[in-house]
Amino acid sequence: MRDLAERLLDAADAAGATYADCRVVQRTIQSITVKNGRVNNVSEFEDAGSGVRVLVDGAWGFCGTQRTDAAGLEAAARLAVRIARASARTAVAAVRLAPAPAVTATYSTPLRIDPFSVPLGRKIELLLAADSAMDVPGTTTRQGSLGAVRHRQFFANSEGSRIDQTIVETGGGLDATATGDGEVQTRSYPNSFGRQQLSAGWEMVEEMDLAGNAAQIAEEAVALLRAPVCPAGTMTLILDATQAALQVHESCGHPTELDRVLGFEAAYAGTSFLMPEMLGSFRYGSEQVTITADATSPRGLGTFGYDDEGVAAQRTLLIDQGLFTGYLTSRETAARFGEPSGGTVRAESWNRLPLIRMTNINLEPGTSSLEEMIATTERGVYLTTNRSWSIDDRRLNFQFGTQAGWEIRDGRRVGLVRNPLYSGSTPQFWNSCDAVAGPDEWRMFGVINCGKGQPGQLMHVGHGAAPCRFRDVAVRPA
Amino acid sequence: MNQEVLAAGDLYEIADRILRRVPRGADGEVTVTQTTSALTRFANGAIHQNVADQTLRLRLRLIRDGRSGVAEMQVATPDVAAALVEAAESIREHSPHGDPVPLYPPDGGADTDVGYSQATAAVTPELRADQVATVCAAAAAKGQQAFGTCETGATAVAMVSTAGLRRSARQSVAELIAVCRGGDGSAYGARHDSDATTLDVVALADEVTERCARNQGARHTDPGTYQVVLSPYAVAELLEYLGLIALGGLAMLEKRSFMRFGERLMSESVTITDDVDQSRLSPMPFDGEGATTRPVTIIDSGVCAAVVHDSVTAARAGVATTGHSFAQPNSDGPLPRYLCLSPGGADVEAMIADCEHGLLVTRFWYVRPVHPLATTITGMTRDGTFLIDRGRIAHPVRDLRFTQSIVAALADVRAVGAERLAARGYFGATLAPWLHLGSFAFSS
Repeated sequence: MRDLAERLLDAADAAGATYADCRVVQRTIQSITVKNGRVNNVSEFEDAGSGVRVLVDGAWGFCGTQRTDAAGLEAAARLAVRIARASARTAVAAVRLAPAPAVTATYSTPLRIDPFSVPLGRKIELLLAADSAMDVPGTTTRQGSLGAVRHRQFFANSEGSRIDQTIVETGGGLDATATGDGEVQTRSYPNSFGRQQLSAGWEMVEEMDLAGNAAQIAEEAVALLRAPVCPAGTMTLILDATQAALQVHESCGHPTELDRVLGFEAAYAGTSFLMPEMLGSFRYGSEQVTITADATSPRGLGTFGYDDEGVAAQRTLLIDQGLFTGYLTSRETAARFGEPSGGTVRAESWNRLPLIRMTNINLEPGTSSLEEMIATTERGVYLTTNRSWSIDDRRLNFQFGTQAGWEIRDGRRVGLVRNPLYSGSTPQFWNSCDAVAGPDEWRMFGVINCGKGQPGQLMHVGHGAAPCRFRDVAVRPA
Repeated sequence: MNQEVLAAGDLYEIADRILRRVPRGADGEVTVTQTTSALTRFANGAIHQNVADQTLRLRLRLIRDGRSGVAEMQVATPDVAAALVEAAESIREHSPHGDPVPLYPPDGGADTDVGYSQATAAVTPELRADQVATVCAAAAAKGQQAFGTCETGATAVAMVSTAGLRRSARQSVAELIAVCRGGDGSAYGARHDSDATTLDVVALADEVTERCARNQGARHTDPGTYQVVLSPYAVAELLEYLGLIALGGLAMLEKRSFMRFGERLMSESVTITDDVDQSRLSPMPFDGEGATTRPVTIIDSGVCAAVVHDSVTAARAGVATTGHSFAQPNSDGPLPRYLCLSPGGADVEAMIADCEHGLLVTRFWYVRPVHPLATTITGMTRDGTFLIDRGRIAHPVRDLRFTQSIVAALADVRAVGAERLAARGYFGATLAPWLHLGSFAFSS
């Protein structure tokens, strides 16, 4: 890999690049799906290639290639340079990069059991056992999946950095669906969107105890068919940790991406309401709300040694006790404000351009507990596990739905309710937060479908979160 | 790098090299997909991201003794064919006995290059930059800033199998998307075609800059139920979500679809087909198991008529596949790829004139299902929403969130446009006209 990287950098230099970096990538992705008692799919995907990014005349060019021969690598570097020269035709200002030290380093995901070392038969057996446990009367569809990713990457740039990283991810999850009475109800464990995934080894699957939690979600899916609809009104809202993670993702993670603020995504993913002049003075949330971008969090899908610009993993305060204090940045965007990069640039694979992406955007633990929040709520709902999510292009107006809810009256959960929705505006919502559960209930979650960029990229990002409570929220049934 | 992709003969050569290595007694299905893509992205009136890549992806599905294994590789090593067979066989050996999806037999479909344009493959980075410069200059001339993408690319696919399947096709795509922003409002426009030379850059720039000029100083309007005049961009989004939620055979079998065959659930003026032959964009003539993609009338003058199938759901439903499969095996089931809403006879000016009080919506954004069985979705308006008052556009309004059943919306159709616009879909393309709907709920 190092040899390919050196050749790409040499070719870019020879073609006229004033700056170049490249990533040589090898990925293996294993996927197993069991549906309704049958093995639906077992597959493995091997992916290898290189991406070279160059600056010429102050403008960017990028080319991805699978070729490994000298002629192919040189052609890719030359094309990247030609593309950069074409970019320069419309340039209004030359790209500048914030300084970053040259680094020689290696990094590997800490893990106990390599997920690729676990026999396929054992994985299938585990999923079939969980599927069987979900087979309670009334369920119509049962599905379970396991996944494993190994992403090895050698990064090199023309400033002297040489970084060899291997990221390993492991994941699994269950969905039970019940249908009838004009309803389709699904419950998932431990999270929706197919599975929970972490930068960790097979030990995380063992810890999840899929089979041990399967019957409960199946029973809840069936019970939801006949549960009363969620009450409507302005009320107290308590989110479980999974939905809190999704709320953080959409209404804290994306708006703090500095490329959105600068208009880089204005034609697609959107912009942000967080203008630079708001830094340090804008009250994003209540004092209960502290949000960090932490690429060093154990097991997070946004955990690494160095980002895809060779900048070391960092922990940055985005919101400090409610005050807006930081952005997710790259070398290019940080330079515009005379700051060093926050180290949050990543690409999905070798053939995609590195962009500002969330690392692990964490809602830091508070001092309350779910039990205490419910006990001190007169009227409200406790909502769990995301089902529907939508937010505007500036990340203000949101409406989220969850798979299940429990009505709370006089400090007690009084019953399951179906089809809950809640909506709000980002700063008003976070300013209404009056409690966040403590470290005992704080969990790391993985999001494996974070879309951004053109051509599209699905990034794996992490969110640590705990149950949290909000006052005076608009709640209603779908 | 020219964006030309391999011809059928070259694709088959790669595929056959893999198929010849399939162990004796096993069934094998090989898919070779080559993709080239070049995308120039611009923001604030200048190119800020500009990329190109080329990939060759190989897939093998092996079946023997009631067990199957799938391996995919996107690597360029000399021994990739052997490695692919070894990987698929290893997975197959470790998989339990079951009832694998059988290989699809050849159905007489022919190779085709319909939808493939040499002119698109020949577009250079300099030409893309010049097209971007045209849009940026048009915006600057009106005091606006331009954002968007200019993309060209091509895909070539070949499938072969031990069942005798031999299919290949090539297609190309050219796309120009522009968003212009003034001091207090933005506008969106897009053009897609297989042939880059047919994209009218100047016309698109005129459309978007003119709409942007009108969409300045948007005022608040209360949420509520309005008549709406939807542009083809917005209608395409409704079609896409209807397809994702409810128009596939698996959704029907799993009772997740609203469809009740033979019942009229939409306006008589609504006919929805999935028709690759009507599509001017990405017309892939066969599906992920090699079956010919056939036209399906899904909603016939408002009446639920059919859903699309793959071989698995078709067998369960007792019908023939319609050729809408993803690669097998999969747990998602078939989905529509080329949804077309049949045109009516109206033009947008007449729709506006016939609307006493309503909203004109250019585009929907961040649409997600809320209650799939009821086809209720939510999302935002974006890049140009206007109040219509007494048959005239009164002023732009701030973006609103809608929460609305698609089926209910299409049950109250006042007019369907005569002209249609092609747009890229999630898996293929859509063909959508303007629509005037009697009732659409905006929730916040």
